[in-house]
Amino acid sequence: MTITESPVTEAPLELESGAAAIAERPLGVLTRPQGGRGWRDWFSTVDHKKIGIMYGVSAMVFFVVGGVEALLIRLQLAVPNGGVLSADVYNQVFTMHGVTMVFLFIMPLAAAFANYLIPLQIGARDVAFPRLNALSYWIWLSGAIFLNSSWIVGGGGADCGWFCYSPNSGVTFSPSHGVDFYAIGLLIAGIASLVSAINLIVTCLNMRAPGMDLFRMPVLTWMLLITQFLLLFALPVITVALFLLMFDRLFDASFFNPDMGGDPLLWQHLFWIFGHPEVYIIILPAFGVVSEVIPTFSRKPIFGYTFMVFSGIAIGFMGWGVWAHHMFVSGIGPISVAAFSLSTMFIAVPTGVKILNWLATMWGGQIRFTTAMLFAVGTVAMFTIGGLSGVTHAIAPADTQQTDTYYIVAHFHYVIFGGGVLGLIGGLYFWWPKIFGYMLNERRGKINFWLMLIGFNLTFGPMHVLGLQGMSRRIDTYSAGFGFEFWNMVATIGSFIIAVSVLVLFHNIWKSKREAADLPPPGPDPWDARSLEWMVPSPVPEHNFDEVPTVDGLDEWWHRKYGFDDNGRVVQVATAAEAAQDGSAKGVHLPAPSFWPLVLAVGLPLIGYGLIFNLWLCVPGGLLVAMGIYAWALEPVDDPDAAHDHHDDDHDGDDDHDDDDDGDDDTASATADAAPAAPGESGGA
Amino acid sequence: MRNSITARHTRRWWPLGLIPGLALALAGCAPDAELDTFQDQSETARQINELVYPVFIVAGVVLVLVCGALLWLAIKNRVPADKDYEGEFPTQVSHNNRLEIGWTLGPAAIMTVIAVFTLVVHLAINSTEANAIEVEVDGRVETWEPRVVVVGQQWWWEYRYYLKRDITTEDLGDPWNLPEADIVTAGQMVIPTGEEVELIITSRDVIHSHWIPALNGKKDAVPGMYTPWKLEADEPGVYFGQCTEFCGLSHSRMRMQAVAVTPAEFQDWVNDQMAPAVMPTDEDSAAYRGMEVFTNYCASCHLVRGLNHEDYNGAETVSGSAPDLTHFAGRTTFAGGVFNLYDPDGPPNADNLIPLNDDDLAAWIRNPNDVKENYADDLPEGALPRGMPDMGLSERQIDDVIALLAKLGPRPTDEQILATEVN
Repeated sequence: MTITESPVTEAPLELESGAAAIAERPLGVLTRPQGGRGWRDWFSTVDHKKIGIMYGVSAMVFFVVGGVEALLIRLQLAVPNGGVLSADVYNQVFTMHGVTMVFLFIMPLAAAFANYLIPLQIGARDVAFPRLNALSYWIWLSGAIFLNSSWIVGGGGADCGWFCYSPNSGVTFSPSHGVDFYAIGLLIAGIASLVSAINLIVTCLNMRAPGMDLFRMPVLTWMLLITQFLLLFALPVITVALFLLMFDRLFDASFFNPDMGGDPLLWQHLFWIFGHPEVYIIILPAFGVVSEVIPTFSRKPIFGYTFMVFSGIAIGFMGWGVWAHHMFVSGIGPISVAAFSLSTMFIAVPTGVKILNWLATMWGGQIRFTTAMLFAVGTVAMFTIGGLSGVTHAIAPADTQQTDTYYIVAHFHYVIFGGGVLGLIGGLYFWWPKIFGYMLNERRGKINFWLMLIGFNLTFGPMHVLGLQGMSRRIDTYSAGFGFEFWNMVATIGSFIIAVSVLVLFHNIWKSKREAADLPPPGPDPWDARSLEWMVPSPVPEHNFDEVPTVDGLDEWWHRKYGFDDNGRVVQVATAAEAAQDGSAKGVHLPAPSFWPLVLAVGLPLIGYGLIFNLWLCVPGGLLVAMGIYAWALEPVDDPDAAHDHHDDDHDGDDDHDDDDDGDDDTASATADAAPAAPGESGGA
Repeated sequence: MRNSITARHTRRWWPLGLIPGLALALAGCAPDAELDTFQDQSETARQINELVYPVFIVAGVVLVLVCGALLWLAIKNRVPADKDYEGEFPTQVSHNNRLEIGWTLGPAAIMTVIAVFTLVVHLAINSTEANAIEVEVDGRVETWEPRVVVVGQQWWWEYRYYLKRDITTEDLGDPWNLPEADIVTAGQMVIPTGEEVELIITSRDVIHSHWIPALNGKKDAVPGMYTPWKLEADEPGVYFGQCTEFCGLSHSRMRMQAVAVTPAEFQDWVNDQMAPAVMPTDEDSAAYRGMEVFTNYCASCHLVRGLNHEDYNGAETVSGSAPDLTHFAGRTTFAGGVFNLYDPDGPPNADNLIPLNDDDLAAWIRNPNDVKENYADDLPEGALPRGMPDMGLSERQIDDVIALLAKLGPRPTDEQILATEVN
């Protein structure tokens, strides 16, 4: 981008810049805000760490929303003929529970880890496209709020199940606006994930520190990278499906309407071609977290790094060939069923490799059961149960009995909650000191873990029995006399134990923060960990690395602390404090904040409301989006005034293969450590 | 700086938390569970269970091994979390290719074995070997390949028997205008024991799923598709089922039963069903008045052969269908298999038999949405109802129409009523 420079006195559309009017300013462009403090900072930030934190906080908010919905479901099903919810409300609540937990909790929580940790783990100052990163978050948030606003303005939540099978999702059968909000809300949230996926893929491929080969990236970064590729290819499919659904509902199209020659199974294929990779989108980040936590607390490197990475890649590929196992009883032919049955069985193989490699990592280790380690080991055990029950319904004949019963509900909660959620909460305990600069209390953390593990097993363990006893899914009530009473009550009790454990987590966060004032700070590396994020101070300074590290191998940070003597024994060569950076670099050139991603994101739900209620609303929405895009293009890639005094730490600049030539200007400003602050250069870089 | 972890040193037997889960899985299933998938009563259901039992065992062994290994490692290699590490590091083993190739191929080999057996059973349960049986229909002996057309709609199942002709998918055409069947029932299908009965499953509105767990797995009813499936019962009995594909508001209240009877009893049932309804003739009787109520309020949707056969145009609902009531009192449940038509707990009737459950039946007719939620009233303009609307009948009219319905027999035996009682 070339920016014409010419002095003007005022920008045509100045946002809160916090800076005094600048004398020299490019003509026809906007100023960029300069961070500032408080809410302005959060609304305009493009810092991957702040965006990661916002993803995490928002995800936890929706965890509470989805959790309350889960408790309502369990209250309704605690006893036969439960009267807590009407059938109509129950159908909305279980639909929104699933949608919220998948799209508004686990995916953004994984995105929080991806945003925060990928640049740190590969030794980068930020993601490749910082403003796009902010855009992802704001679009996701606007989609999430839009989706949930249907409770208030849409006549209730969607009532078609998260899978929303047609024709039950059509206007005839679901006349409220809930499904419209489902379709458009997920379309909006999907834009966010797609943008984020592209951004993080480019980051992983282009922004690695010198020497950080692909096969030196930590397993977490690898799993997150695979996740982004899955998102990149899966989201277009669900986008098409949702688009067709939206047209069916809002504009009387008939893609899924059998009366008009449409095909209800088309929706199922599209949904599950997205929906099964989605399972791995949810679980692979947790696998990555476990692969960081177990080696750290076993005091050993991950066993079989190459197998861990390639099994993840194998899952990423095979995950595309199993979608129709969700449709074994839908009436697709026996040959298709047989093929998908076999492919589903064999996806168990790479997953099994991972479990055995984690065990081998612990083998011969010196294991400290910190809360993070407990969560990681709990993840391995619980996911194993979920994986094994998965094998039982990969067997197509058995699946004809099991599918759409509570056995499946048990299975996927063991995978998604037992694998995904436990793993990510373990990740919270692990990276909390790095992110917030104080430790979460371990004693309360362990209470948190044990309550969650017990509550989880009490809730979802009995569902195996209920399903095999013939309890159907998605029923708002059941009659006495089918043998369902006892285990449903147990499951309801278990769900409240989970709720208590989540409260313990929140309490721990709050109390530990208060107690932290009296405790020594955790330092850069409280766990004696292995990857690069632990070589910078906690919390991480805005510029991440004082000096971009040069990487010599896997577990770079560990190898800066430890070496081997002549007998092959590990000897410490430096303490963490000695080897770590102190965050003292000043004036590191960072991408400037921007409000335009937020403006653009606010326009999208307006278009959504417009499509549903009154097309005129699309006009202000579209104008906001257009304004966001144009202003984005017209604001300087950096505030000309933001260069300050550059700390010259450019001595490894020649090694920095991510230098200024990779096409994106934000990238350049994020990584080109300390380009000389020549006036007029900062805009074009 | 490192290892500054503040935790109390306690013994941790975390894997013990797994035992409840495992115990639950092994606890098996209650004997009174009528939908229990393990109480197989047919060759097909048995084949499925015999395939999956060993897999459960293999899975259980793997689970015990993995969790046992975790437990063992947790005990053996644990160091206190609150202390700094002391002494030497463990050996820094980073990989072992042979081992890893081994535990890639090992599970693959196990899965291959499972896959072979899976394919065998999969092909077996997807093939039909229906034998033609002889059924006397209207005085003629017909050779009937047992085949029932199963039609789902919100929120009940229709079963259609074509005894006089071999019906195929091509003959069926449009599910909203199926060829006239010899026998049409709702909520309860009757099949002869020992015969493989082919099902042709479809739907008139959304997707449903037909599942009688004791007899076979489930199969979806998809609008626009006719999907083959089969059922077979070894022994006479009543086998409960439940719609298992989410189908909207009253999905949980869409149930059904397969009633298996001996071939001789099946012939009796056919004879009863083939006869048109016998209409009351006593003009002073409630049932006679009920005919008028039925004709005025019910006949636009419900068919009673012998009463409104000629005028019947199909129901004014989304599915275009309402249950055929010709032999309503010959069934034992109503409203999608969720209410008992007869009340085993009530005082015996005049003939010292189990009385009609007229409380529930009256409540249903009075306002169906009150006892089984549906979308029949308060509709948006131009929309068709889904389910039975509140017809605004007076109590007298309700009593009269119940008196008529009670005569649409023949009445089942008390044994049948008790066997088919729903909860």
